[in-house]
Amino acid sequence: MNFLQLVFVKISLNLKAEAAKSYLSYLWWVLEPIFFVSVMFVVFGVFLSRGGDQFVPFLVCGNIPFLWFSKSVSNSCNSISQGRGLISQVKINKAFFPIVIIGQDLVKQAVVFTMLLLFLVSIGIQPSANWFYIILVIIVQLSFVISCSLFVAAIIPILPDFKYIVVTGLQLLMFGSGIFYSYEEVLLEEHRDIFLLNPMANIIHNFRLVLLDNSAPNFDSLFITFIVCFCISGGILFLFSKYNSMYSKLVIE
Amino acid sequence: MSTAEENILYVRDVSLFYRKRKSFFRHDSYQVLDSITFTINKGETLGVIGRNGCGKSSLLKILAGIYQPDLGDISHGNISVSLLSLSLGFDGELTGWDNALLSGMLLGFSKDYVKSVLSDVVTFSELSDFIHEPIKTYSSGMRMRLGFSLALYLKPDILLIDEVLGVGDAHFRQKAESAMRNRINSDATVVLVSHSATQIISLCDRVIWLENGSIKLEGNPESVLMEYESFITKIKGVGKSFIGNNVIKGSSN
Repeated sequence: MNFLQLVFVKISLNLKAEAAKSYLSYLWWVLEPIFFVSVMFVVFGVFLSRGGDQFVPFLVCGNIPFLWFSKSVSNSCNSISQGRGLISQVKINKAFFPIVIIGQDLVKQAVVFTMLLLFLVSIGIQPSANWFYIILVIIVQLSFVISCSLFVAAIIPILPDFKYIVVTGLQLLMFGSGIFYSYEEVLLEEHRDIFLLNPMANIIHNFRLVLLDNSAPNFDSLFITFIVCFCISGGILFLFSKYNSMYSKLVIE
Repeated sequence: MSTAEENILYVRDVSLFYRKRKSFFRHDSYQVLDSITFTINKGETLGVIGRNGCGKSSLLKILAGIYQPDLGDISHGNISVSLLSLSLGFDGELTGWDNALLSGMLLGFSKDYVKSVLSDVVTFSELSDFIHEPIKTYSSGMRMRLGFSLALYLKPDILLIDEVLGVGDAHFRQKAESAMRNRINSDATVVLVSHSATQIISLCDRVIWLENGSIKLEGNPESVLMEYESFITKIKGVGKSFIGNNVIKGSSN
């Protein structure tokens, strides 16, 4: 109970402290993804003339979820070693550090998703009852973000070199998740199922199904992704509490 | 000083090893604590002395639960053990109030409990309206006053103190020392690591002398300090009595 309370207080105070560090404070939560999407649009939409009229909503629905994933995972990489000061002074479950990062990014993302929906409506896309399915897709993505963030946070204190793999992996995933291209247009029929084995590609596909095609998501793939991520996260949390003292030594020494 | 004999913490045959990475697969292991056994009675103040690198801080980390012993065991049921820390997790962008709340919660206390003592903390620290200013605007003395006041009012079942009885300006230092002295002399259970012979003699009921990770001597403060002094004199060739001196020879932190 105290642990959850502590997580909530730490998340809210971190957000407050982060906002205090810049002039535009909370506005950056929205400005940052806008910059990313703009750059992608200029490169792929204008210079490479891909996508046609509907390219902007298509791009936004891929890039925004991916940015959430990529930020949480890369922020979690060094979360435990950055908590060194605390770890050397108090007994604390090391999962606290990545969980706070995930929570912080989730709060920001909630604002960004709201802006995304408003943006889609503003450019003339008609919302339907199917849009409620987006909550389901977001929950599944959250489970994926949690499992990957916990995994990198747990492994990097043991194998510090792994963070280079994470950086490269995120780059590869950006190109392999269909953010700025439609896999249905680019890939051969027999390769599509393999492409969708990438959970991020699958999640982005479902975002587009719900928001742009006004249809229901693919429940089977979402369910499987959720169950797998849930089990992985549970396993890592168990390992964190079992090897808590080992992490203290790894970080403090 | 209490004479109660109720054991609230047992340390049995505790050994601790650190590992040092030499190459990708090779680790060197060295022993920091070697078969330490002692008990702490409710209400007593236990002093820990020893030269630098003898394992005092590692012992406190084990008592605080930060490390688990590699061998042996430590049992303290459900009691809370906290290491006194003067700036636990302080974030410069947050106010003194927010930092104190977070710091108290990190030490394992509930949000409501920390809030209930915060007004006393503010009064004792003499920060008045400054408590609502970001901590980056504080002088180092003000930070320490806040940290110390918090440590004084949060009451863990066992308080671990590592050389911090003297903070702020002369006026506050006097006030802090006498408040901490009252706390120690009341029913609090305290483990105090100190290099000050005066403090050890005036505050402790019992003293443990650590040498090379194991207990060399345990007993009443006067006799243990006498032996320790003659040991230090022998190995360093410094001949000076500890009584009346503030710093024990060979322990210059």
